[in-house]
Amino acid sequence: MMRKPIPVVATLSAVALTLAACSSGSGSGGDDTEADGPITLDYWAWGTAQQPMVDAWNAAHPDIQVKRTDAGGGTDSSAKLVTATRADNAPDVALVEYNTLPAMIVAGVAADISEHADGLESEFAPGVWSQSTFDGATYGVPQDAGPQALTYNKARFDELGIEVPTTWEEFAKAAEKVHEADPDTYITTFAPDDFGSLAAFAQQAGAEWWSVDGDTWTVDFDDPATVAVVDYWQDLIDRDLVSAEPLLTPEWNAKVNDGEVLSWPAGLWAAGVLYGVAEESAGDWAMAPLPEWEEGNPAVGFQGGSAVVVTTSAEHPEAAAEFARWMGTAEEASAAQIEQGQYPASLSGQELTLESDPPLLMPQQKDYWETAAEITRTTVPEISWGPNTNVASSAFQDAMSKAVTNGTPLRDALTEIEAEVVGDMETAGFEVAKK
Amino acid sequence: MSAATDAPAPAYRRVRRRWGAPLLFLAPAALLFVAFLAVPIGYALYLSFRGMRVTGGGPFGLRQETWVGLDNYVAVLTDPELVAGLGRLGIYGIIAVPLTLGLALAFALLLDLPRVRGARFARTAIFIPYAVPGVVATLLWGFLYLPSTSPGNWILERVGLDGIDVLHGGMLFPSVANIAIWGGVGFNMIILYTSLRGIPADVYEAARLDGAGEWDIAYRIKIPLVAPALTLTGLFALIGTLQVYGEPATLRPMTSAISQTWVPLMMIYRDAFARDNLSLAAASSVALALGTLVVSVVLLRVTQKRSFGESS
Repeated sequence: MMRKPIPVVATLSAVALTLAACSSGSGSGGDDTEADGPITLDYWAWGTAQQPMVDAWNAAHPDIQVKRTDAGGGTDSSAKLVTATRADNAPDVALVEYNTLPAMIVAGVAADISEHADGLESEFAPGVWSQSTFDGATYGVPQDAGPQALTYNKARFDELGIEVPTTWEEFAKAAEKVHEADPDTYITTFAPDDFGSLAAFAQQAGAEWWSVDGDTWTVDFDDPATVAVVDYWQDLIDRDLVSAEPLLTPEWNAKVNDGEVLSWPAGLWAAGVLYGVAEESAGDWAMAPLPEWEEGNPAVGFQGGSAVVVTTSAEHPEAAAEFARWMGTAEEASAAQIEQGQYPASLSGQELTLESDPPLLMPQQKDYWETAAEITRTTVPEISWGPNTNVASSAFQDAMSKAVTNGTPLRDALTEIEAEVVGDMETAGFEVAKK
Repeated sequence: MSAATDAPAPAYRRVRRRWGAPLLFLAPAALLFVAFLAVPIGYALYLSFRGMRVTGGGPFGLRQETWVGLDNYVAVLTDPELVAGLGRLGIYGIIAVPLTLGLALAFALLLDLPRVRGARFARTAIFIPYAVPGVVATLLWGFLYLPSTSPGNWILERVGLDGIDVLHGGMLFPSVANIAIWGGVGFNMIILYTSLRGIPADVYEAARLDGAGEWDIAYRIKIPLVAPALTLTGLFALIGTLQVYGEPATLRPMTSAISQTWVPLMMIYRDAFARDNLSLAAASSVALALGTLVVSVVLLRVTQKRSFGESS
């Protein structure tokens, strides 16, 4: 085959440009030494709350300026952090979701900041703090928390005569009632690819997917608690009482707007997300505590939420740790966060919400933040994510989606997921106990 | 190609003594080739024999890159998902390739008919989808496919019928292939049409004098004469099929029916970025590249005799 000759001039200039691009791409910012002038920290974080928080920090700290980059949402951002760390040009500070934090530790992204964490523990509730502390070392400062709650379309609930369910049993009865009243309408969606959501439901039921004893891990995805949770959802799917489909698709958003999906059991951040996709239905919604598995046991799990970590590439770890602490605990930071509808992780930030307006999705619900505080007081005390949560999450998405698509039992999918997670851990060289 | 070697011998020898100029002219291309093709391929090969393993003790021991021999290749070649992914690719290809080429050929032949009206407009209209970036096209089609946003279902429901979900079950493959066909027909049509315009008109005149109709001309003259172009577009379409990624990856968040390993490239992406296993992804890439090479060479061998028989 003949090839078109490439003009030499164009080629040479392309080479020159490429070389120039290479030489300017090195380093992660903050090249200046501490002695002369302010230092600059690079910070990767997603979400609407971050820029206002960073602006508040920069105004108060002329010597340590922070430059924020949106490197994508939790999963994308973490994937890029790993790659950037290998290339030794990761940012100094980054926002990381709790469930990917262990993977960030074993990949060498998150640095141990225990020596900069004096007195930090008392700023957080134990359940929140435990999510950024592993094996006695602190790897991040919690920033926002996502205890699960039930965000529901109150206007449609009232219209169909549905009482807000307080147990999952009542929730199933309410699902029947909704579907009887309007066959096109479902009380909620079971998203087969939503790892974080099922993880939280399982935590609520008492499951512990990863646990560690000394150097040995135990992995248990098909424990009785998780099996009971998926059996519950299996029954609702089989009876066509919930829609089984991914969330936040154009399809799902249209159904939420049309009042055909009436509730979303999710982290407290759900109000902000729903406002983004169904702004016009603001005022129709309200938030209530998540239904309970056993009446009288209000403990709920966490879904999502994130911590600020200092990376191993940070050139000024001390300044970076100071910034991370400020983002998690300072009043100005919390205020900016609450305004954007996020629920702060720190106790002082949570107290501050009590003086704030309810989220834009439910301006009429005056007790929103009081209810949120009550929910947060009763979260599951200890959550332990594994060193390969990323593998578990990806195995989960495929196994559960396949089960829902093919109509095979969800409980079998749990066994598949466990096998993949254990296989990956063994290949990597972790010690995994036989069940 | 053969012209160069047939050049007169004395002149050739004279040029040969002066290596400077040709080397200088070759240098930029060689440099680019080495920097952006040879080195990355070499690095991928190297990576495919490495892996991240826990080195220090402790439950949160750091993972370090070490030599793992053929572990990654064993893992790739024994993974049933790779075979399943290739199977799905096969179904997709069986739908997409013949339809793309068939439609492209049909449009090219229609546009090449004498006294065809609106040819310029039709040519542009058929070509325009090719200019729409794949991800954008997939998002557009996604909206058209999803039951709650699909205009087709809106109409079906208005006339009292049930809407259909084309992103599940047997409709999934045609739906994904449709996006590629929609985007690919125009490009292939232009290649075939250009090739048709290169056929001297007196061939047709002679055929007409012998009593051939337009159908005979198309079937007995035009199609055999554009066979090299058809082979070329067929090869492109085949390689394009092996590399399909954008359409299913963009549709995936919208349906539970597309897994992260739906086609081999999606599996490579998952291993590299969702699972932080670059070495395994490198091994799969090497395996897929070798497979593509074998298929392309076989296809070229088989078709070369027929299409380029006289010229080579």
